[in-house]
Amino acid sequence: MWPARRIGLYGVLSLIAALFVLPFLILLSSSLKPATQPLHEFPPQPVPLPPVLDWFAEAWTKIDFPVYLWNSVLLEILTLPAYLLISAFAGYALACYDFRGRQLVFYLIVSTMFLPGEVMLVPRFLVVSQLGMVDTFAGVVLPGLMSAFGIFLARQAFEQLPRELFDAARIDGAGHWQTFWRVALPQVRPTLATLAIFGFINVWNNFIWPLVVLSSEDKYPLALGLAYLAGTFGDDQRSMAAGTVMAALPVVVFFIAMQRHFVEGLKGSVKG
Amino acid sequence: MVTTGLPRQAASTGTPAAPAGRRRRRPLTVPFLFLAPALVLLAVFFLWPAVTAVQLAFFSYDVVSAPQWVGLANFGQMMQDPRFWKALGNSGLFLVLMLPILVCVPLLLAVLVNMPLRGIKAFRVMYYLPVVTSMVVVAIAWNYVFHQRGVLNWLLTSLGLLDEPVQYLLEPGWALPALVLVESWKSMGYYMVIYLAGLQSIPRDLYEAAEVDGANAWQRLASITTPLLRPYVAVVLVLGAMDAMQVFTSVFVMTQGGPQDATMTLGYYIYDSAFRRFDVGYANAMGIVLWAILVVFSVVSYRTTRGRMVSA
Repeated sequence: MWPARRIGLYGVLSLIAALFVLPFLILLSSSLKPATQPLHEFPPQPVPLPPVLDWFAEAWTKIDFPVYLWNSVLLEILTLPAYLLISAFAGYALACYDFRGRQLVFYLIVSTMFLPGEVMLVPRFLVVSQLGMVDTFAGVVLPGLMSAFGIFLARQAFEQLPRELFDAARIDGAGHWQTFWRVALPQVRPTLATLAIFGFINVWNNFIWPLVVLSSEDKYPLALGLAYLAGTFGDDQRSMAAGTVMAALPVVVFFIAMQRHFVEGLKGSVKG
Repeated sequence: MVTTGLPRQAASTGTPAAPAGRRRRRPLTVPFLFLAPALVLLAVFFLWPAVTAVQLAFFSYDVVSAPQWVGLANFGQMMQDPRFWKALGNSGLFLVLMLPILVCVPLLLAVLVNMPLRGIKAFRVMYYLPVVTSMVVVAIAWNYVFHQRGVLNWLLTSLGLLDEPVQYLLEPGWALPALVLVESWKSMGYYMVIYLAGLQSIPRDLYEAAEVDGANAWQRLASITTPLLRPYVAVVLVLGAMDAMQVFTSVFVMTQGGPQDATMTLGYYIYDSAFRRFDVGYANAMGIVLWAILVVFSVVSYRTTRGRMVSA
């Protein structure tokens, strides 16, 4: 490639990157600006002079930020292991056993993709309320544990395992459970990692379902707490920005650390 | 024997531990034991609500008193409810404005980040960043961009595109396009990765052969890339339409459906009807209409572009 063309490409790529990152940088700069510096002005002054951490302290104490944070963490702990296990169980059964009704079960699971969350919002809420799970974490967590995406991906991974693996397990006298737990499951760890990553992000960012199920503010996860914060803080845009930065930070750091898996994982989920 | 599409264990009726020949006593129970948790959840949180939804569409229900059979009255009410039509129209606008953006721009991005350049992965990461960020965070960040004295107004006024700064979220004509921008901006990276998968699935030697035959870059794009990407376009079309028809969080955080219902989407109206005005039967009937629209749209666009299996 010609050097000029290469430089041109980097220019275009960087310009687009700026469009994707700029709103976050504006948020960050707003959260660090001292009270004496205007947040918005023509032309924009993006650099905080000097940067202050006051608004972070304010957002941490003025609203129940630690409570929201803990709720988000708790939801992750309650969701992820069960989500992984349920997906792996179902994917394993569909990939490695031949039984009457397998196709039917598979299509049943896939068809849930045509029942997206917003369409199901009202009736699912009624079911959850009949089960007495309104305003509980169980009500938030349980409906998300069965995911066609997770089962589909797990099934694909188990299908890739060589037949010899199972023959060897049989010769060694492994039963159904041991074959699954000791032989098959360790082989699909990369897929489980992908699922865990997407699951983590989904739980952290989930908004509409917790909004509907939870009514006590002390059970709110961060996404909900933030939206609530937008209401209470109103004009205090600096604390608002600081709270938002703190809520976004774990996911951003996690994403950058795990970025390799994201693109690979998504690609794996799209079959051409 | 049931024939299945599986490549490996196609001929066995037993278990992986006991394939052809040796059978366990109860070959059926074991797979269903593994499937049990998923199937129970599926029954409770998908089938039961689906049945409830269909039943409740014919009832009036306000949570407090018992549901009352009203026949098709919920659907009749919809016909005469100007806010429903407004919400339906707004969701249609989201679809019409967002879908071309979501189908075209990510494709260009994918072509760009598929270039063999040093550090290209860093760009992929940056373009994908909004996808992993919560919509609440994104909406709040864009509030600062849209501020009357914010960066967008500064840019547009200095370029002479606007005479006066605009309060994007407070003016009926601007609010919906502003939300379209935010929603599209957030999910572009996702569709970019789908296209990227498509681009990388095209064998290199196809291009090499075309080059040997003297095809230029445009011809290669037109006769290799475009036809081979078609299934991916179908996927993006369906997922993008689902996204566009279900806009909710950005509305909730940024405009609450206002100004003057200019950003009231179907998703937001359903939420508002059920959980603020407790008109549950009606909200549920609207949910069924939304569902029907989504299914029809998915099937039509899938058929026309002949997409293949996807999960997401």
